[in-house]
Amino acid sequence: MSRGIVLFHTTTSALRGEKALKKAGFLVKLIPTPRELSSDCGFVIEFHDLPLNQLQAALNEAGLEFEIHFLP
Amino acid sequence: MQSVSKFLTSRWGPILTGIVIGILAPLLVKFGNPGNMGICVACFSRDIAGALGFHRAATVQYIRPEIIGFVFGSLAAALLFREFKPRGGSSPLIRFLLGMFAIIGALVFLGCPWRAYLRLSGGDWNAIPGILGLFAGIGLGILFLKRGFSLGRSRAASPAAGWVMPAFALLLLILLVTAPLLGRDAEGNPVGPIFFSEKGPGSQHASLLLALGVGLVVGFLAQRSRFCTVGALRDVVLLRDGHLFYGVLALVLTAFVTNLALGQFNPGFEAQPVAHTNALWNFGGMVLAGLAFTLAGGCPGRQVFLSGEGDADATLFVFGMIAGAGVAHTFSLAASPAGPGANSAAAVIAGLVILTILGLTMREKASA
Repeated sequence: MSRGIVLFHTTTSALRGEKALKKAGFLVKLIPTPRELSSDCGFVIEFHDLPLNQLQAALNEAGLEFEIHFLP
Repeated sequence: MQSVSKFLTSRWGPILTGIVIGILAPLLVKFGNPGNMGICVACFSRDIAGALGFHRAATVQYIRPEIIGFVFGSLAAALLFREFKPRGGSSPLIRFLLGMFAIIGALVFLGCPWRAYLRLSGGDWNAIPGILGLFAGIGLGILFLKRGFSLGRSRAASPAAGWVMPAFALLLLILLVTAPLLGRDAEGNPVGPIFFSEKGPGSQHASLLLALGVGLVVGFLAQRSRFCTVGALRDVVLLRDGHLFYGVLALVLTAFVTNLALGQFNPGFEAQPVAHTNALWNFGGMVLAGLAFTLAGGCPGRQVFLSGEGDADATLFVFGMIAGAGVAHTFSLAASPAGPGANSAAAVIAGLVILTILGLTMREKASA
């Protein structure tokens, strides 16, 4: 199962991203930024096996800047 | 080295950091620091401000080596693991203000969150209203975050910005060791700054090498593990994630056991070291501090560690704390063991009003 992480520039963006994705019906979870990705202590959104293009579309629609990473 | 790093960045990292602080902080008290003040980022910033002559409260003036160690410990960890990233530009002026209000609130209580937990573990029950206030302030901050409060994103900055704090820490170390008299009185005789207290909390300190060493160890561990006393609660409330909070629990329990072992556990409200018994303003001061820390994204310790790994915004928060300490003691905003200062109540209320305005108005706009 592929585990993906959506990174944002601010904590607030992560909260808004979570809201936008949940509203669009995606099963996602807000988690602390994995330590191996950054020393920053904010939040990221975690997802498993979701259609990437639809996910990106929902976040773009919310007007958010983000980066998607896949973790082993 | 890699396996140590892996452990520190795992869920165990904050717990190990909490245990180490819980052992070392009471030991610093044993070896000379003021009671229940093995480590206090707010008190130590206030002492540094006093040593530099930014306030003239003669009992709280000393350049605390622990803070210098925090910066260098964090810097070493960040350089070693390639996490030294000069960055900044996320509302620097507002961060300076948040640092000022954070320390004004903390000095009404007489301690940062770390010291609040250390006071609790030493039996100072006056810490309880302070910690409840801290929780309330963090809760308020979370409400603003949920409503869209944001200081904006930071961006990569030139290396010079990232090296300001390490350079400042080095300057402090030189001033501490050489203790120059940089001022001149009316007759032209050399006087402080640098000021060092001859009595009171500022005169109580562990030896330079011990304090610096503890600072280095804690700074290194905390940079690696992201230990944060404010983020701890924020993550529990917002994410139901307890990994930072377990670190805080580990700190309290370990410090309690260490204090017991050293004969430093003295339960009660009265006659606690560097503390007052006014529950209302112990609570109120920490509401202000907790709100300021949450809006700025971390407790004062964490801000110092971030400033050591190149975060210019966190550096400004720390400078704001030092400036705010000067204001707090010059304008009688800070409390003393006798109780809240003449203007503590007004300062806390004004601070809460100003931070509420910031919390409600500084909202992130969608870029689309």
